[in-house]
Amino acid sequence: MLSRLETWINKISDACGVIASILFVLLLFNIFYDVVARYLFSQVSIGMQEMEWHLFAAMFLLAIPYTIRTDGNVRVDLIYEGRSDRGKALINLFGTLVLLLPFVLLIAWFGIDFAYQAFDLGEGSGDPGGLPHRWIIKAVIPLSFFMMALAGVAVVIRSLKVLKQGDNS
Amino acid sequence: MMEYIGVIMFFVALAALLLGYPVAFTFGGVALIFVLIAKFPELAELMDEGASTGEIVSEAFSTFAFMPYRIESIMQGTTLMAVPLFIFMGIVLQKTRLAAQLLEAMGRLFGSVPGGLAVSTILVGTLLAASTGVVGASVVAMGLISLPVMLKYQYDKSLACGVICASGTLGQIIPPSIVLIILGDVLGIPVGDLFKAAVGPSLVLVGLYVAYVLFRTWRNPQDAPPMPRENDGTSKAAYIWEALKAIIPPLLLILIVLGSIFAGIATPTESSALGGVGALVLALLYGQLNLRILYDSSQETVKITAMVFAILLGATAFSMAFSYTGGDAIVEELLHGLPGGKMGFLIMSMLVILVLGFFIDFVEISFIIVPILYPVAEAMGIAPVWFAILVAMNLQSSFLTPPFGFALFYLKGVAPDSIATTDIYKGVVPFIVIQVAVVLSILFFPAWYGLL
Amino acid sequence: DKVYRLKLAETWGPNFPIFGDSTKNMAAMANKMSNGRLKITVDSSNKHKSPLGIFDMVKAGQYDMGHSASYYWKGKDINTLFFTTMPFGMTTPEQYAWFYHGGGMELMKEAYDKHGILSFPGGNTGNQMGGWFRKEINTVEDLKGLKMRIPGFAGEIMAKLGASPTNIPSGELYTSLERNTIDALEWVGPSLDLRMGFHKIAPYYYTGWHEPATELQFMINQKKWNKLPEDLQEILRVAMRTAAYDMYIQSYHESAVNWETMLTDFPNIKVKTFPKPVMDAMRAANDELIIERAKSSPLAQKIVDSQAAYLKKARVWTNISDRAYLDSLDN
Ligand code: NA
Ligand code: NA
Repeated sequence: MLSRLETWINKISDACGVIASILFVLLLFNIFYDVVARYLFSQVSIGMQEMEWHLFAAMFLLAIPYTIRTDGNVRVDLIYEGRSDRGKALINLFGTLVLLLPFVLLIAWFGIDFAYQAFDLGEGSGDPGGLPHRWIIKAVIPLSFFMMALAGVAVVIRSLKVLKQGDNS
Repeated sequence: MMEYIGVIMFFVALAALLLGYPVAFTFGGVALIFVLIAKFPELAELMDEGASTGEIVSEAFSTFAFMPYRIESIMQGTTLMAVPLFIFMGIVLQKTRLAAQLLEAMGRLFGSVPGGLAVSTILVGTLLAASTGVVGASVVAMGLISLPVMLKYQYDKSLACGVICASGTLGQIIPPSIVLIILGDVLGIPVGDLFKAAVGPSLVLVGLYVAYVLFRTWRNPQDAPPMPRENDGTSKAAYIWEALKAIIPPLLLILIVLGSIFAGIATPTESSALGGVGALVLALLYGQLNLRILYDSSQETVKITAMVFAILLGATAFSMAFSYTGGDAIVEELLHGLPGGKMGFLIMSMLVILVLGFFIDFVEISFIIVPILYPVAEAMGIAPVWFAILVAMNLQSSFLTPPFGFALFYLKGVAPDSIATTDIYKGVVPFIVIQVAVVLSILFFPAWYGLL
Repeated sequence: DKVYRLKLAETWGPNFPIFGDSTKNMAAMANKMSNGRLKITVDSSNKHKSPLGIFDMVKAGQYDMGHSASYYWKGKDINTLFFTTMPFGMTTPEQYAWFYHGGGMELMKEAYDKHGILSFPGGNTGNQMGGWFRKEINTVEDLKGLKMRIPGFAGEIMAKLGASPTNIPSGELYTSLERNTIDALEWVGPSLDLRMGFHKIAPYYYTGWHEPATELQFMINQKKWNKLPEDLQEILRVAMRTAAYDMYIQSYHESAVNWETMLTDFPNIKVKTFPKPVMDAMRAANDELIIERAKSSPLAQKIVDSQAAYLKKARVWTNISDRAYLDSLDN
């Protein structure tokens, strides 16, 4: 049951990674296009320019749950590296429950109202030719932080499994 | 007690980091806990006034309602957009073996003079550094290619390791550089100005590296013996031709990135995208490009980017807590009270950054420590670009300082088993000394570098 | 006596000249006049990190007050566009007269009511300059393809005439202009432009047309306002109004001083005014756009009509008083 939940969450986190990778390639060519259009053809589209930060923001936010899943985050591993699997699992369990989950869930929670306000006002860009529907990119905040929380739950399950195996042996 | 809560939080966070839980969420979680603690008196007051539980809970967490706004500012911070793009450039260069070809060709060309392999490693490191902005790629490439060659020809192990780590980290100070982009963002200085200002100091650094290797080779010839010329009938001209061919890609990229900025084709941020596309085009020309490489490079980029930005998110929560609990005011007062005025403050700052650099990496230092120091520097009338270059050059050391220097990890990861961790540690010491010397020279003689 | 603490967030960074003085001035006055019962702390953008989130933060009550500019919120609510300044619109004295005697305050209240915010004039920069250009603008044709950093409503006017408004982060403005990434930009006026160094790279400094009377704003969360006793409300109102006036005077002074310095230190700056055909074209584009914007809501229509009617009335007097006086000196 828990294992299935973990697998399911991991799939979601992986999907976040795939989306982020694609968004990055789009970002690369988006900027390239903007530079070429401006320099060679004197054409500037504020909408395309704004698309740059939309892609950039969605990319790094969605990449974080994926990085949690692949354990790619920076640690100070002076003590951590020398621990047994059990010790590492304990640190991860404690850290995720006390540090990660409260932090990301709270931001996800406040992010909902943040995005809703933009939706409610029909907020768009204030600049000529800018992008409408600002709520979409704002909604990436609650979405991505919720995904981080999910990825955190998978870490909790994995750590519990390691700890349980330790008990059996 | 309550007024020092911010300061206490700072040390608790440093202690918590040692546990080894990811830095980003350690900062975020500790910030949340301390914001709650700091709210206690206010909450008690509310309770006395007979507020409902709901009101008390929402007041307790209210500070974090600012987080989406702070995150939005990061999302719109187009300066930092250059970070993933320069990372991507470095990864493509590495994946397509363009960096490797350059290393091999230069090694063959200069290897036959004493110390030649080490010097050509430094030169290649400089070239790669000027065409991209990341550390990992160069250290790994050199560790895989230069190190075995140097070991084969009886180079001193620690010299070989030191040279690779030091030249592999040059990418962080020679523009374009991620450290400079981040500092530009944190300090609100145009990135272009920082790039320009960093050229002089980083060339001095490279010069001193080379001078050190030559000096050491002269004193202890057995540390860096010449590589016997292979008798495969290849002429010297052929070696030169090959080296020239291999040097074209990085030179082209340097031209694209810096050239596009100075020709007004692109802003510094945009130039990073031109460099990324340029790297792809080169890969295509050298027959190395396919969809797999594009996707893999993008995925790796995204992972490293997430690492940096997760720390930025944790750091913004932390600095929010730090300032709302009054920690910044106390630190400011403390720093203003230092004896020795400007110089006293700068020396203190440099010491703090150097020492912290042993334990945490440049991202945390840039996002957490520098914003605490900078308002004081500003108030004292210290030139922002000078301050930034001092910090950047100092942070350069953090890549090399044991036990947590990034470069050390990367090299250990790819080095053959005959290399002990102590070889690497011993090897970087002279280079750290050189870096500290350069920091001191910038500190006391900024005019040499045109920084005042 | 009960002490009321208000937290104010401003769009500007710490030590931002003139704009930042206005909030500090207001907070100090309110404190003194209330004998310490009103304590207003000012958070600059380095503290809250959200220069353009002020509206939302005051609306949500995370901050009690804000200091910003109303036209920044036009993407959230088009009705807020009109309370800063309008291209070809009123001058500063005309606009203050409209606010306090021509129904402006009532219309601003109506616009901000539905967000639970009260908005007050927050200090005026006076007429802003039209910007720095690397090439001379002689005909409307010269605007075609002109890459210019000019945000907001004025940018839309330029776009209508064939220019390409371009977003450039402020940190990259200088390099972009220097390297011809963009051809022109507008910033504020002599008091703030000179420190950016634009005069070193763009020889033409055009006089203004798009922001004749930029008025900042103080915002207060309505619920918080209602909790204040009546005397403190009045003290706050007076402090804001006085701070706004003080800022206008300070801007005027600093602009005059800076202009003088500019002329002596940088005699090569060529001060230009757009030729009449260009001004006419911009004005026509402006009128069209305003008609379009007015259609977006009944309130917007009401505001536009009110401003147009007041401008017509006030300008006759301006012409007879100030303009006639100045002209008569030239004769
Ligand atoms: Na570099
Ligand atoms: Na280190």
